Parts: sequence; C-alpha cells; structure tokens
Amino acid sequence: MNALQIALRVLRVDRRTRTSAILTGVGVAVATGLVLLLVSLPFATQVRAERAQWQEQSYSSNSEQPAPLLLSYSEDFVNGKKMTRVDVAVMGNPAGVKLPAGMPKLPAPGETLASPELAKLMRELPASQLADRFTPNIAGSLGNDALRFPEQLAAIVGHTPEDMPSDAVPSTAFTHGDPEPDGLLQLLSGVGVVVLLVPSLVLVASAARLTAARRERRLAAIRLAGATPGQVTGMVTAETMISAFGGALLGLALSPGLHALATLVPWAGGTWQATDFNLPVGLTIVLVLAIPLLVGLAAVLGLRRVFSTPLGAAAGHSRKPLHWWRLLAVPASGLFFLLAILYASSDSAGDESGLLVLFGLAVLVASASVVGPWITSAVGGTFVKVWRKPAGLLAGRRLRDDPKGAYRASAGVVLAVFAGSMALTLMPSFEAQAGGGRAFQDSVLYVETVPANATQIAQRADASLAKYGEQARSEVVRQVSIKVNDSQRGSYSALVMDCPTAKRMTRFNVGSCDATPGIYSSYQLDTRGASVISYYGNGEEQGTPFAAGVPVHLLSAADKDVMYSLLIDPAALPAGLEQSPMERVTVAVPSTDANREVIRTALGGASGGSQVYSRELRLENQQTELSDLRRVTVIGLIAAGILAGCSAAVATAGSVMDRRRTFGALIAAGTPVKVLSRALRMEAALPAMVATIGAGVVGVSVGIGLFSLVEKDGIVLSPWILAPVALGVGVALLAASVCTPALNRVRAEPLADE
Amino acid sequence: MDPRTPYAQSPNRTAVLSGRGLVKRYGTQHALAGIDIDIEAGDAVAIVGPSGSGKTSLLHVLAGILRADAGEIFLAGQRVDQLNEKKRSELRRTEFGFVFQSGMLVAELTAEENVALPLLLGGAGRKEAITAGREWLTRLGLAGKEGRRPGELSGGEAQRVAIARALTHRPKVIFADEPTGALDTRTGRDTMDALLHAAAESGAAVIVVTHDRELAESMPRTVSIRDGLIAARLAA
Repeated sequence: MNALQIALRVLRVDRRTRTSAILTGVGVAVATGLVLLLVSLPFATQVRAERAQWQEQSYSSNSEQPAPLLLSYSEDFVNGKKMTRVDVAVMGNPAGVKLPAGMPKLPAPGETLASPELAKLMRELPASQLADRFTPNIAGSLGNDALRFPEQLAAIVGHTPEDMPSDAVPSTAFTHGDPEPDGLLQLLSGVGVVVLLVPSLVLVASAARLTAARRERRLAAIRLAGATPGQVTGMVTAETMISAFGGALLGLALSPGLHALATLVPWAGGTWQATDFNLPVGLTIVLVLAIPLLVGLAAVLGLRRVFSTPLGAAAGHSRKPLHWWRLLAVPASGLFFLLAILYASSDSAGDESGLLVLFGLAVLVASASVVGPWITSAVGGTFVKVWRKPAGLLAGRRLRDDPKGAYRASAGVVLAVFAGSMALTLMPSFEAQAGGGRAFQDSVLYVETVPANATQIAQRADASLAKYGEQARSEVVRQVSIKVNDSQRGSYSALVMDCPTAKRMTRFNVGSCDATPGIYSSYQLDTRGASVISYYGNGEEQGTPFAAGVPVHLLSAADKDVMYSLLIDPAALPAGLEQSPMERVTVAVPSTDANREVIRTALGGASGGSQVYSRELRLENQQTELSDLRRVTVIGLIAAGILAGCSAAVATAGSVMDRRRTFGALIAAGTPVKVLSRALRMEAALPAMVATIGAGVVGVSVGIGLFSLVEKDGIVLSPWILAPVALGVGVALLAASVCTPALNRVRAEPLADE
Repeated sequence: MDPRTPYAQSPNRTAVLSGRGLVKRYGTQHALAGIDIDIEAGDAVAIVGPSGSGKTSLLHVLAGILRADAGEIFLAGQRVDQLNEKKRSELRRTEFGFVFQSGMLVAELTAEENVALPLLLGGAGRKEAITAGREWLTRLGLAGKEGRRPGELSGGEAQRVAIARALTHRPKVIFADEPTGALDTRTGRDTMDALLHAAAESGAAVIVVTHDRELAESMPRTVSIRDGLIAARLAA
C-alpha cells in the first residue's frame, strides 16, 4: 500500500480526518482566491493605465522626427464628476499615427469623440451646461478599450492647429514610453497581500492542524512499526496534498466570481472592466501550485517530533520551553522596518525602496508569530501561579504547555488588529491632510493664464455668460510675489484684489473693508524694505519697493489654508510696478449650485479648453480618494476579520478535538461543560488580549512610519485606534465560543469511540 | 430462575446503587436488555463478559453518563435516572468517582492538580484542593511525584493518580472501566490492590468492568453479562 492509498484509506474511514481535510480544502480555497485577487491588483492598475495612456500628457522622446500631432490635455468636471479631455490638431501627415485601442478615428476639426457615459450626459443636460464645451459634431464613440473604466467621462476634440489651447504641445504619437500605474493602489495591494495572505495561511494552518495530535499519534505508531521518515513524509504529503490541491482548484474555480465582485468596487472615480483582473496564465499556475505546496511543506515540517522521537510523540510528552530570544523578534524587525522607512524617505531612495518597505512590513508581520507564542507562554505561566478557579488553572496550564498551539487560535486576530490599527492610524492622518488649494472661496471657478490672454478670456467668458442669461461676471486677478526681510520665509504669494472683491471671492476674513487700502496678512509683517518681485525669465528678476508706511491689516485667521497667503489692495501696490509677462493671472467667476456648470462651460470655452479649477472640486477629489481608501480599508479589514475569526474558531475546535478523550472523561466524571467552555474561552482570549494590545501598538507605530513616507508631520491619532484591539478581543471570544458546541459534541459521543 | 428478573422490582434498601429493568438500545441492537443489579456500600463488583456484551454500557448507564431507554436507577434509595443532565453531572461529580483505561488524566496538569480537579470543580479553594490532592497521592505511594505531568509518569503511576482523583472527593461509588487494560499483569494487580484498598478505606463501593479473568476472580463479587443480560452472578 503506497502513501496515497494509505491517505485515501484514512480519509475514507476516519470522519474527523475527513472534516479536517474539508476545512483545509476550504481554507486553501479562500487563500487561493484571495491571493489570485490581490496579486492581480497591480496587473489591473497596469491594464487600466495602459488603456488610458493616451489621456495622459507624455513627451516624444524623438525630437528629430516631425510631430504630426498637437495635443492638449485637461480635466473638466460636470455635476461633480471628473471628465478627461484631450484636444488634438493634425499638423502634418497623420497616416503614421497609431490610434489608441478603442478610438475609432482621429477626430477632424470640429468633431468630438465621446465616451458613452459622456455622450449620454450631453444628451440629458442643457447644452449650456455641457455640450457647448465641445465641438458640435459628435462624430463617434470611444470604446471600452480607450477608457480607464467603463463609466468614465472622456472625450477627444478635434481642432485646427490655430484653434488649439495655448498649452498644446507637439507630439509624434498619442503615447510614449510605459504607462504609470496607480502607485497608491499598487502599494495597497502589496500591503493587502501581506496582511490578508497571512491570516489566510493561518486559517489553512489551523485547518490542517485540526487533527494534528491524532495524526501525530498515528504517524508515530507507523514510524514505530518500522516506516522510514521518507515513507511517513510521503503519507503526510499525500494526506495534505489531496485536500490542499482540491482547495486550490476550488479557489481557482471561485476566482472569476471574486474578480467579478472586485470589478464593482470603485477606485479613482470608477469601477473596473471584467478583464482587468486577469492574471497571466503562467503566474496563475505558479500560485495555484505554490499555495498547496506551502501547506504540504508546513505539514511535513510539523512532523519533526515524529521523526526525532516517535516514542515521545506517541506518548505525548511535554514540549520544550520557548527561548527568551523570541522576544527580540519584534524590536529587530521593527528596527529593520524603521531603517527601510528612513531609507525610503531619504533623497537617495530608489525604485526598490517601496519593495524594501513592504519586505520590512512582511518581516514585522512574521515576527508576531515568533514572539506571540512566547507571550502566550508567559501569560500561561502567570495564570499557573495565580489561578483561583479550575478554568484559570486549565487555561494557564494549556497556554504554558502548548503556547504555539494556543497562539495559533489568535494569530489571525492579531494580524487583523495589526492591520486595523495601522489603517486607523493612516486614515485620520490622511483626512487631516485634506484641504489646501488657493485662497478663493470653494465655489469660485477660475482659469489660470498669462497677462497677455487674461482680458480676452474674461471678455469672452462674460459674453458667453450674458448669452446664457447669467448675471455673474468674471474678475481678472493678479498674483504677485512679495519679498520681505524675514529669515524664515524669503517671499510670499499675494492676490491683488480690493477688499470688497476679496470679501466676495476669497476666504480671507477681511472684515468690514473700512480700513485704508493696504496689505492684508494673517501675521505681523515687517514691510520695511519689502518689494514686489517681477520675473522676466532666465532667472532675471526685478524688485519694486513698497511705499514707506504701507499699512498691514492683520486678519483673524479663520482658515489655516490661507495662513501663508497675502492680499494686496491694488491701491497699495508700489508705484511704477510693471506687470511681468510671466506673472500669474487668474480669471475667476463666483458660482452657485444653479449656475456652476454654465459658468464652467463659459470659462472653458473662453479659454480654449483650458483647465477650469475650483477649490470645491479639489476637496471633492480629495474626498473621492479618501473614500476609495476608506472603502478598500473596510473591505480589507472585514476580510481579515472574517479570516481571523474563522481560523480562531477552527483552531479552538481543533484544540477540543485534540483533547476530546480527556474532555470526554472530565465531562463523564461530572465536570460541567460550562466550566470547560470557560477554560477554553479563557485559553483563547488571554493570549488574544495580550497579543492584540501588542499588535495594536505595533500597528500604530507602522502606520506612523508609513505616513511619514507621505508627510513628515501632521499625524493624527484618533481614539478609534483602540477599536481594533477591542474588536480583536471580541472576535477571539466569539470564535472561542465554538468550543461549547464542540464540547457538547464530545459529550454526545461514546467515550470508547476513538 | 429467569435471568431477566432475578431481583424484586423495588430497590434493595441496603444497596448504595441499584438498577432495575435497565434497557439500552443502539439502533435495533440491545446493549442492555433488562438488567437488575444492586451494589452494596463498600461492595467490590467485577462486571465481566465478552466484547459487545453490554458491560461498559451497564457501567455508563449506572453512572448516569448514558441515559437508559427503560428502567430505574436508585442511589441510596433515591431515584436518580430521571434527573436532568445538569443534576446527573453534579451527581457524578459529587457521589461517583471514575477510573478509565488509560487514566484520561489532563495532560497539561500536574499529578496533584489532576487529583485536586474534582474538588476544585466542586467549589473547593486552591489550597484545600491541592493539599487533599497531595495527601491522596502520598496514600497511593506517589509522594514526590506531585509535580509530574501524566506524560512523565509510568502507566501504573498514571493509573494510581487516576485512582487518587476518583477518591479525592470521597465518592459513594467508584466506576472503573478496564483500569488495568493498558498495564502489564503485575502492575495491573498492584493498581487494583491500590484501588480496592483505598476504596475500602474510604467506604466506597467499586464497580470494575474488565476483560481480565484473573482480575475478576480476585474481586469479592463478579457479575457476568452476555447479550445485554446478566448471565451469571458469582460471589467469592
């Protein structure tokens, strides 16, 4: 009888081994499905980026070749949704220009190709709100292959070279080089692989260990009967592989369903196409083979005791105490992670720094499984000393005697708490970073231009507004640089605007505008020797000093985002100041909810398709990004929590099954099931409590470290960071409650059934 | 005499444990087909019979581990077979002691903690229970081995720990299921001597299920079971 035949026979005759095999298979299926999804995320972002590469500005690398295209790229918004617009003009022979996939033709002057969703909006909304921003002839539709996501609002608008926006650049092709995939999503998928894969593997390990004691005794008996280590390894490999490969194939079969669900999760403004999550066949095969092989390897490694001391395994002798050096794992891996963070945030960091940080994170996560059993053993030791009730004694002894097994029940929870604490440290800090933008009020729409075009744009915009019956009119706002005698800040940016206009259009708290025209500032400004700087290119600049005694009015700083901006009344500008041709000029129009899209149409049309900005949209974009982050964080944490809960429940059930004869005897001798349940719950909850607190602290520290990659300061610690620890203990207790039905099952079984 | 009705239907007034008309079925098979039995205080009874004869089922039914499908059980004249599971558990914990084939000790606990466990479960304090556990281990010749785990004890020592555990709360009846089944002959004999001696000292009755004919013959009383019925009753 070979190893496979023995494994099949054991599976056929032993119900508990069969249950373990089924649970192992399910665990492997879940792990395989999750890994196939998480690993596909970077590919999905890459595919998205490739499809939308023509929408991103890129420069021709071959400047000697004549550029047949003139391209301008801008973002626009309608009803709060982002719209991508590319303006194109043909300058030479377009025959050699390769059209992006999904673009049926190159639009001729006066033609627009729109995405289906944009075309639908154009039909639904009044022309003044959307369609007038484009050329009147909708000559075709952009296919899915040309869109970042199916519901994307995108258009390519054809022009003559003369009609192109001022920022248009010549180009030899629509795309150059490689697309840049979404860095944040790639980072998140890496973090997701680390924090979700480990609980998945813990679940698999818990399931595989469900009948470990029983299998260990059986294999030890076979070993004592003369089987070689090779034969025993073969038996274990066969026994594990049957369920693990079955599970991996099940995970592969379920994977399209999981991917279909993932396409519904919006990211960066839209959902995904069904094929985005396709993985290369070779990689899929490698992953589907690798997970069961890892499970098999873990099962074989778990047999060391059977190989070295089969008698010891058969008799169930107690295990060696754990070494104190395990305690060093967390500080050592923490130090490695810290160094990785320091390197990644240094100026010398290369492309590999992200991978190094992820590796550091993985090492830190792995260190939990080294130190966790030691903590479990220490907690057990404390209880053995101080117990007062039998539940405390039973739990303490169990934790002390088999800390690795006891920790296994809470390992997934520990990981979930770690991930949760890390996420909840990052999220409020990211949220606190939101804001910024220029000093205009949120609802003011504006385009930026150069002095030469400003008046013309304003006139055109006003004409369009009048045509649309709108009362609102544009303001041309200059922005100048002021140099002061301040060692901290050499120069300040200042909007040039009179007080009533500033009150109407900006967030400066200017008060009642009774004061003499001057400079408005949130802080005391020394204007002695201050001047307005005019730039003339090639580094040439000219300073025009302020008149002596120019008044500085202190603003009550209501908005931290305008703290470092100044406002200057035009009457307070230095006499003889010339407007530099490089000066930044803004054409701005205040809007309301009712006329916002009309004003956007007017401003966009007047500026020849230039980007129309507003702080409101900046904030909305930030909120979209934060919502994306929140969504994937919540999904990730729910998945991690469910995996952790399942693995804790399976481990607890396994712990009952391992000791079913002892528990059966205790119940037979009159021990109430509730006493044993309490002991088992305590056994699961004690290490979970200690380890989750530790995991929470480490998670917060890692969150601070990761945040420092984005911002040097501004970390915000909310009381919610305590929630994962509380939830983790709750999940561990809930999972531990499966011991009661497991014990009831033990009670229902005859004592001799073994 | 009809072997199915060897006794009167009412319990013996002097018996500490009595069973009347006990029936236990597993599917269509009768493990017990109507057994009457009385155990006197301080009695030591061996239940013998071939495999599948129903002797372990009888032990479990008398101890309240299994509920009989029919029949009555009396402990010191009080009917106990109708008690709910909670009460039966309490009864097993306080009035009965158990010795199983392989000790069934809690592997993680030391010998003294294993012995103290029934007292602790009964609400005794740590010091009281551990002291009692040590005393019983000393009486059974295990002084100095209080801190050993079951895995660190020999088979005979582990069974003596199990006997100490069964006696520590001073039960009325001790049920022993193949207590020497995993031991060699000499160790088995020593273990049985220890059990009977300790039980006699504390006045507990002992019911032993065994395959071991020699062991059964050394007991004061033997009940032979076949096909769920008492086949013969022998007194030494």
